[in-house]
Order: sequence, then C-alpha cells, then structure tokens
Amino acid sequence: MTTTTTSTDPLPDDFGHAFIRGVHESVGGAAEALGDLDRRAGDGDFGTNVRTALKLAAQNIETEQPATYRQWVTTMYMGWLGVGGTSGPLFGMFFRDLAKAADGAEGESARVRAADGAGSPSLAQFAEALAAGQATVQKYGEADVGDKTMVDALDPAVSALRSAVEAGSSPSEALAAAEKAAVDAARATAETAAKRGRASYVGEVAKGVIDPGAAAIALVIGAARAAADGGDVDTAWIS
Amino acid sequence: MRRSIVNDPEDLVPEALEGLVLSNPLMLDLHEEHRFITRRRPATDKVGLVSGGGSGHEPLHAGFVGTGMLDVAVAGAVFASPTALQVLEATKAADAGRGVVQIVKNYTGDVLNFRIAGEISGDDAVETEMVLVDDDLATDTGGEGGPGRRGTAATVIVEKLCGAAAEAGASLAEVAAIGRRAARRARTMSLALSAGTHPGDAEPQFTLGEDEVELGVGIHGERGRGRVPFRDADGLTELLLDPLRKELELHRGDQVLAIVNGLGGTYPLELNLVARSLHHQLAEAGVAIERSLVGSYVTSLDMHGISITLMPLDDEQARLWDAPVRTPALTW
Repeated sequence: MTTTTTSTDPLPDDFGHAFIRGVHESVGGAAEALGDLDRRAGDGDFGTNVRTALKLAAQNIETEQPATYRQWVTTMYMGWLGVGGTSGPLFGMFFRDLAKAADGAEGESARVRAADGAGSPSLAQFAEALAAGQATVQKYGEADVGDKTMVDALDPAVSALRSAVEAGSSPSEALAAAEKAAVDAARATAETAAKRGRASYVGEVAKGVIDPGAAAIALVIGAARAAADGGDVDTAWIS
Repeated sequence: MRRSIVNDPEDLVPEALEGLVLSNPLMLDLHEEHRFITRRRPATDKVGLVSGGGSGHEPLHAGFVGTGMLDVAVAGAVFASPTALQVLEATKAADAGRGVVQIVKNYTGDVLNFRIAGEISGDDAVETEMVLVDDDLATDTGGEGGPGRRGTAATVIVEKLCGAAAEAGASLAEVAAIGRRAARRARTMSLALSAGTHPGDAEPQFTLGEDEVELGVGIHGERGRGRVPFRDADGLTELLLDPLRKELELHRGDQVLAIVNGLGGTYPLELNLVARSLHHQLAEAGVAIERSLVGSYVTSLDMHGISITLMPLDDEQARLWDAPVRTPALTW
C-alpha cells in the first residue's frame, strides 16, 4: 500500500461533496462582486443568475440527498440549467461534463470504485472532464480563447491540469497549478475587449473589467483545489 | 402613458397560463413548476411535439396544444427563452415512446436551451429532432453568418403540418422532414404602426412619428429594417407582399398558403382589409391563395401591426393543413 495518490487513483470519497460545498462558498460568496463586474461590462444579470443557480442547487441537495461524486455535481448542473440568460445553460452543461468525470472508466480504479461505491473520479479523469466541459462550452457558446468569456479561464486551466497529471503531480499540486492558471487568465481578461457573450455589446467599454464568467470558472477550479488540500478559496482579487 | 391589465407583473405568465387552463379544462393541463402546458389526455403511440419560447406572443404556443397540433408548450418570461431545465421537462413530457420533434423559433436563447434539452433528454432515451423556424425575410442576410432569420408566424404552419403528420402516425424523421420543408419554403414580412408595451411599463418599446411605418419589425419590439411613409391598407399590403413575391419567386399559376397575422394591437376589421387586398394583388399576378388564416396568432404584446406569411403549397401540405385540429386557438 502506498501513501502517494497517483493521477489514476480515485480522488477521496468526499471529493464531490467538498468540491460542491466549495463552489457554493466561493462563487456564492463572490456573487455580489461578480454581479458588479457584469454591470460594468455586460447586461448585469450574472449576479442574479449566480444566486438563483446556487439556490436551486441547494434545493436539489435537500431533495436528492446526494452521496456520490456524480450526484453531488449533478445538483449543481441541474441548478444552473434552471437559470436563464446564456450563463445558465453554459455553466449547466460545463458542470454536466464534470459530473460525468467518473463515468465509463476502465481498469483498476473502476474496480476500486465499484467495490467501495464512492465513485469519485481520478485526477486524470477530472482533467479530461474539465477539457470536455471546455469543449461543450465552446460548442454551445461559440466562443474562442481571447473572446473575453469563461473559456479564457478554462483553456489555460485545462492545459495546466493535463501537464501536471502527466508530470505525476499530486492532486493538490495539480489543481493548484490549474487554479493559478485560471486566476491569472481571468485577471488578464481585463485587458481585452469582448468579442462574444454579453460584454461584446459594450465593446471597448468592457476594457479594464474582468470577465465575470472567467472569474467564476477560476473560483470553481479553486473549489476543486480546496477540496483536495482542505484550504480556502481566495476571492479578494475579484473587483 | 400606457396601462396594462395586470396584477404583479412578476406573476403575469403563470397567472395567464392558469387562466388558459381553467378556461379549457377538457383540453389542457398545467405543469406549474416548470411552466408548461400539456394536453389533458396525453396522446399515445405517436411522435410527440413540443414547442415554446418567450411569452408575449399569445396565442402562440400554448393556444396550439391539442389534438392535431402540439403535445406540450413551454413558456418563458415575456420575450425570454424558457430555461433548459423547463424545456428538458417539457420535452420528456411530450414523449410517448416514439421520439419528440422540437419546434423552435430561431432566436439564440431558444435554440441554445432547446438544443441542450435535446442533448440531455438523450440520457433518458428520449430521441429528439429539432425543426428550426426562420421565416422572417427582414432579417435575411444571405447566409453571411450571424444568427440568421428570426422565427415568426410560419411557426403556426410548421406546428399544424407536423401535428397532422404526427397524429397520422408518421415517424420522427418524417415529421421533422415535413416541418423543415415548410420552414424552408415559408417567408414572412411584418410592419408596425406602433410598438408594444411591456406589461407594467408606461412607455412602448419604440415610438414612431404620425406619418411613419416601421417596416420589417420582429415580434419582440425589435426595431425594423427602416421607416417608410404611412399609407393606406392596400399600400401597406403591397409593402409586405412585394419582397415576399420576389423572394419566393412566385409565378402565374402558383398556389400558396397565406397567413394574415395581427401583431397584438390590430383589430379584425383591419386584418380583413389586408386579406382582401392580398387576395386581389396576388390574383392579379395569377397566384392563387389555396388556404389562408386571418387573425392574431403570433403577437408581440399590443403591437399595432401586421405580418403576411406566404408558403407555396403542394397537395401533401394541403392535406395536412386540412386535417382536423382541436386546440384553444385553432379548431376545424
């Protein structure tokens, strides 16, 4: 028995629970700041959408009593799908891909999962689910990197996470690298004018303002990192 | 200053849906949580038909739920798409085991949420086909990217023809093909003398001078393609008909289905005047109106305006159009 978690071992049983709790805390805690960003660079409904999505997600936790990783993340994906605008469906489909992270796995980790019934994905599976989520968001949102949308934070996070997986980093280290990449990229969206999404309607006016969708993605990845290392998610940079 | 007959504007849509169902107790049922309307007695062993979109276009879509037309209609807030979750639940409710055709007006939000609902309903083994309605000629950019033509009054034709085909036992692919063919062939032009006013708002969505007509308006109070001088009913009809004739390349001997549609604030006398003029002008060109519908079916709150929809009609389409239908807004 080894004490080192490799990228193909399942993440801890309570990873899904801790991850989703972290999303509620970090994204929910920053709802006001995210709404402010959207008022300055979009149509101003993102703060309301965040609050509504998290409220619905919390109701889903009450009614569904989730136990596995997939069930926990499903409460979040269904919450977002109950929200209007473009952010609701796009974040919903993003979390849907994350929820499927541990599906259809083969090999030893799947047998381990079947045995203990916890069903958390491995770090490698989580990385691939994050990549699938990025592809889905780009398919439905028709946005490219650099368009000042949530994709800007997702793309470098996926790259960083995949590199860390290949380098054999621990989940904490790998997710910390992904979080840093996402936060840096989200902050950098302040330097660009939007080509897609709500902020594109105001064009140059959005310069100097961080894209709230990219910021929210950085918080979500921060919540995954916090679920792995037990730390907190910094939201102070969002303003 | 414009006043509305409304309680709390926040409750407008659910209260209106409740009123519709209370008034048609033998025909309709309301799913309150996800705001969709189903047939009172769901059909069995046929392809399901679901449509929906923002509210404010009544009687579209809930008014077309019933035998020979839709199985389920899902309602968003005024001029806002229903959420993906609403559409998902509505799509599943429309399924009777033979798949579901989603009839969607071409707007970014509607298309996004119906596509997502279609993808997710696959998890529950519900097969779906989407029929996109994009008949608004005023927003035709010649396929040069962008969101494309908007979906407007041709939705009624698509829902009617698909509904008849589904009722007759056609397969999922067949029903979708019939809908897509109708959507491909139908075109609509609209104009307004005044814009609609959001319930609870004091001012209309845009204002026009006394001698101005907004040509090429949409059904959400969007501005049109341009403003033209006001003229009489025959002249207004001509404004809409000319671009349609050109686009559809109508020739002597052609047969069409025509919809003369009021946009919410137009009274029946006005619509009959337009219908009369349309008949005369098309007759002069040797084009026969084989079937027609005159009334306010796809509206934009209380917009004072009209739209004309034309579709070249073949025998199969005429048969499907003539098939029995029994819904709150359309019955024969």
